[in-house]
Amino acid sequence: MTVNLDRRSLLGAGAASAAAVGLGTAAQAKAVLARGVKKADFAGAVAAMRKVVGDEWVFADPEAVAPWRKSYTPDPYGKHVPVGAVCPETAEQVQAIVKIANQFRQPIWPVSTGKNMGYGQTTTAAPGQMILDLKRMNRIISVDPELCTALLEPGVTYRQLKDYLVENNLPLWIDVPTVGPIASPVGNTLDRGVGYTPYGEHFMVQCGMEVVLADGEILRTGMGSTKNPSAWQAFKWGYGPYLDGLFTQSNFGIVTKMGMWLMPAPPVYKPFVIRHKKMEDVARIVEAMRPLRIANIVPNVVLMMGAAYQLAMFKRRGEVWDGAGPITDEAVAKAAEANNLGMWNTYIALYGTEGMIAESEKIVRAAFAAIDGEVLTQEEVGDNPWFHHHATLMQGGLNLDEIGLARWRGAKEGGGGGGLAWFAPVAPAKGSETKGQVELAKEILGKHGFDYTAAFAIGSRELHHIIALLYDKSDPAEEKRADDCYRELVTGFGERGWASYRTGVHAMDLVAQQFGAVNRAFNAKLKDALDPNHILAPGKSGIL
Amino acid sequence: MKRIILLAASLALASTAQAAQKLGEVQAQRSPEQVYAAVCGYCHGRNVGPVIRGRGLPAETVEYMVRHGQNAMPAFRPTEVTPAELKALAAWVQTSTADPKEHGR
Repeated sequence: MTVNLDRRSLLGAGAASAAAVGLGTAAQAKAVLARGVKKADFAGAVAAMRKVVGDEWVFADPEAVAPWRKSYTPDPYGKHVPVGAVCPETAEQVQAIVKIANQFRQPIWPVSTGKNMGYGQTTTAAPGQMILDLKRMNRIISVDPELCTALLEPGVTYRQLKDYLVENNLPLWIDVPTVGPIASPVGNTLDRGVGYTPYGEHFMVQCGMEVVLADGEILRTGMGSTKNPSAWQAFKWGYGPYLDGLFTQSNFGIVTKMGMWLMPAPPVYKPFVIRHKKMEDVARIVEAMRPLRIANIVPNVVLMMGAAYQLAMFKRRGEVWDGAGPITDEAVAKAAEANNLGMWNTYIALYGTEGMIAESEKIVRAAFAAIDGEVLTQEEVGDNPWFHHHATLMQGGLNLDEIGLARWRGAKEGGGGGGLAWFAPVAPAKGSETKGQVELAKEILGKHGFDYTAAFAIGSRELHHIIALLYDKSDPAEEKRADDCYRELVTGFGERGWASYRTGVHAMDLVAQQFGAVNRAFNAKLKDALDPNHILAPGKSGIL
Repeated sequence: MKRIILLAASLALASTAQAAQKLGEVQAQRSPEQVYAAVCGYCHGRNVGPVIRGRGLPAETVEYMVRHGQNAMPAFRPTEVTPAELKALAAWVQTSTADPKEHGR
């Protein structure tokens, strides 16, 4: 497989060449201004912002904005295209930009590092917004090796934090999402993302924020606003209503600093995979895993990876399936067998002393022996790229293997692929939930011609079904089908009470609808009170 | 024993391109080798994306690809890879030699 690197198609102007290199429909769409914003307002906002951050850090013409337009998620009608970008380096500059946004009614859409991948990049929920790109704010403010905490700006990547810890010989781990190197601890936590060590539920290990509000004031949450904020990263709750949650998956303020807890490196780390051979085994796996997670015998966020999802990371679709319609379970099983994979591959790890791990391992082995699970260690698996991937993740290691998913479909000579939208409905962690979910997912995906490439995750008591909708974004018709399919997944699952915990800009309003009118009205009241001009990220999580 | 090797390997990997960032300071300009290790090299050469070193890819093409992305490749903004870093990176990729340890798809 080689990618077309022909300079003429890359450098040639126009929609035809953009389509040829798979930038998708939105990358070619004309950006429109937000409702009520006139050209003169936009020009006034841009000019004023240039004075704050310098000419070189404001981008307002279509070619200059191109890097902010690229996204994996579907946008067949070009509704999510930003009109510009402004890139501050300090919280004071953010305050000044917010005032300008209010003055000209120019909405701004904050991003930390803008690498949320199948949940979005730097495109916006509602049109006409300028991206408030916080990547230049990438200071590691402090790391406390005794309390095992850090205070970071939004532009710090997991890679930057890891480099700092390694260079300074600090025995602390980070916990990364699957696209760690280029993603941000602040951004991922604010989207309530997860990783795969015992600190995998990122918002649980968040502690203290600094937030620029829509009126330009700076709020510090928790202990951060006291006369001596030395416990800012030590005590989450502060006093009175707990505010930090208001600034996650929301548009109520711009987080410019965030505290987080880091896990002390354990003396021993031991990863495992548990293989099962049949699709229907996932129900038994969930039943066996739930008590182990609740009792914390298995301490990390557990992934139960379907074979098709695993194959899609490192294989191209044409290598394992050339039939009409979605790939069949039989074809997946055959390819799984050939690649040393089960139909379900459950990844767990144990952390602690040799003695602690030996005791826990006995319990885990007994639990999975009882349901015909094959429990394998690194030594037993041997050289296996999937095990290597997950063994890396479960110790907070960095890789971008999952970007391979975006090449599963349509990756042919000269390009294709580039479409990835994660659909992530939540259910209680009970095996009985899995059958209906798998059937419904296959039915809806199949109707639109897409494969069931999915995994389940157990955080604690909940089950996340992570369905990767993989499509060829270089094909406008397929991008539209993907958009239709995703919307049907949201509503079809929503009718059964299985609503998503997270989504991309293409479906934020639709997902918000699944949570009911009272919930939406409450968020709308908060928005009116905190941001009366609605200049912060209108449309985020369905909140205008 | 393997576990210790695994840990050591991941530490070694993380330290291949030290950015030497100091507390309270923004990241300083990185060398092409550092940018490649911290961004590009996670896909290119590791079975996710095609090999790009040692192919004489024109610097102009590299710059365009980084800013626009292509298919599964994300776009990287001037805030992520600065204009100065990109210029040096693109020239470095153009004249780079192939690394036999890299594998592309």
